Amino acid sequence: MPEAAQDPLIGLSDALVERTKRAQSLVARIEVEGRPICSGTLWRKDVVVAADQGFAHVDAAEVVLGDGSRFAAQTAGRDPGTNVLALKLDGTPDPTPLPTAEPDLGALVLAFGADGDGGISVRLGVIHSVGPTWHSRAGGRIDRRIVLDMTMSRREEGGPVHDAGGGLLGMSTLGPRRRVLVIPATTVESVLEPLLSKGRVERGWLGLALQPVQLPEAMRAGAGQSRGLMIMGVAKDGPAEQAGVLAGDILVALAGESVSRPSTVAQRLGPEAIGQPVELRLLRAGKILLLTAIVAGRPSG
Amino acid sequence: MSEVPSRLRVAVAVSDATARCRLAALVARSGHEVVELTDAPEAILTDDAIDEMTSAPAVAIGPVAGDFAGRVPPDATPQQIDAALRAVVAGLTVRGPSPQHRNFGPMVEEAWPVLTPREIEVLAALRDGLSNKAAARRLGISPHTVKFHVEALFKKLGATSRAEAVAKGLRRQIVEI
Repeated sequence: MPEAAQDPLIGLSDALVERTKRAQSLVARIEVEGRPICSGTLWRKDVVVAADQGFAHVDAAEVVLGDGSRFAAQTAGRDPGTNVLALKLDGTPDPTPLPTAEPDLGALVLAFGADGDGGISVRLGVIHSVGPTWHSRAGGRIDRRIVLDMTMSRREEGGPVHDAGGGLLGMSTLGPRRRVLVIPATTVESVLEPLLSKGRVERGWLGLALQPVQLPEAMRAGAGQSRGLMIMGVAKDGPAEQAGVLAGDILVALAGESVSRPSTVAQRLGPEAIGQPVELRLLRAGKILLLTAIVAGRPSG
Repeated sequence: MSEVPSRLRVAVAVSDATARCRLAALVARSGHEVVELTDAPEAILTDDAIDEMTSAPAVAIGPVAGDFAGRVPPDATPQQIDAALRAVVAGLTVRGPSPQHRNFGPMVEEAWPVLTPREIEVLAALRDGLSNKAAARRLGISPHTVKFHVEALFKKLGATSRAEAVAKGLRRQIVEI
């Protein structure tokens, strides 16, 4: 047998055990009517953060922390855009806040969750890929695209992901093809205040359903680009309808900036855009048309 | 196994009165008889935990905690609900589309082929169940041109049927903003 003190594998194992013990009190099991639904992260004194998609249509829950303490909790706010749900606890567990960490490609990470059988569960993996800012289907802006090299059950979703130094990378969530993604701590932080004070995150809204299209040859010269966004639907009484946009128009530029992807439009529709006029450059019947819409707040639900 | 009758006795166990009316009407339109929970139903459609003890298999509509023979999404079509009720009575387990398709994800998958406006219009006609001839009439083009666009759509989307083309081409690319 190798000497424990010098053996790197035993050293690694001991370090993982020690990290897990330290993280334990921050991992939440979220129960509804006595059934474990998903996991969460004790983010602040009385706030647990979880994945919105794992917790749809539920407003009250019980939260059991890794140390066994149990609290009643209410949904304080949810943001499908970043998939962040904030639960306010009745009671004030006092976590030692963790420093947030930046993802390093290839670094070892620990993802914690509640396995549903009482205790917390741990997964070890590496940071499989790190990408730039991205926009989710619901229009939320996520600071980094972090994918982990591990699998995860739905019950474990929403728990904290730590790096080797014990720094908090963010919250785990299940993405397309069940890949495990991390919602970065900075993204969670940026939506937490509005979630706690208003229950939601305001985002700009035009009331358009868009689909990327290839412009026919004849229109490319006039538009100065080969792709655009075809307007498949216009919300009744929404900003675009009031501006005179019709289904079938093709959006080629927004506020003077050429657009061919919905995410480019979403970038221009942050909270700061609400109430501001924005110029839409459209193709209608082969001709360029300029309309101005006043960006509204996205209606809830 | 005994044959599943075409007309089932279905109990609609839904707490919200409006939702109950809507679902009961929908079940009746599918040719079933709507009965009370206590009236020996063969199947149950519910959006809530069922308090009463009953041996009939249940189809849960929407995200309801519990163990049900059938589960359909909250926006299930009448045909899906009908099919789910018949299936659970036949002793099968019914699940909606796997949630992995709806996991949190990016706005538009990068690799999706980009269609032309005309292809999108033709695809919308396919979605509405129109024949090439009817689509041609709607769009004011020749059936031959429609056929050309349909073939281009199949190729671009890697689809082998009209239904597959519609599913791949329309459902996943539209973003509301």
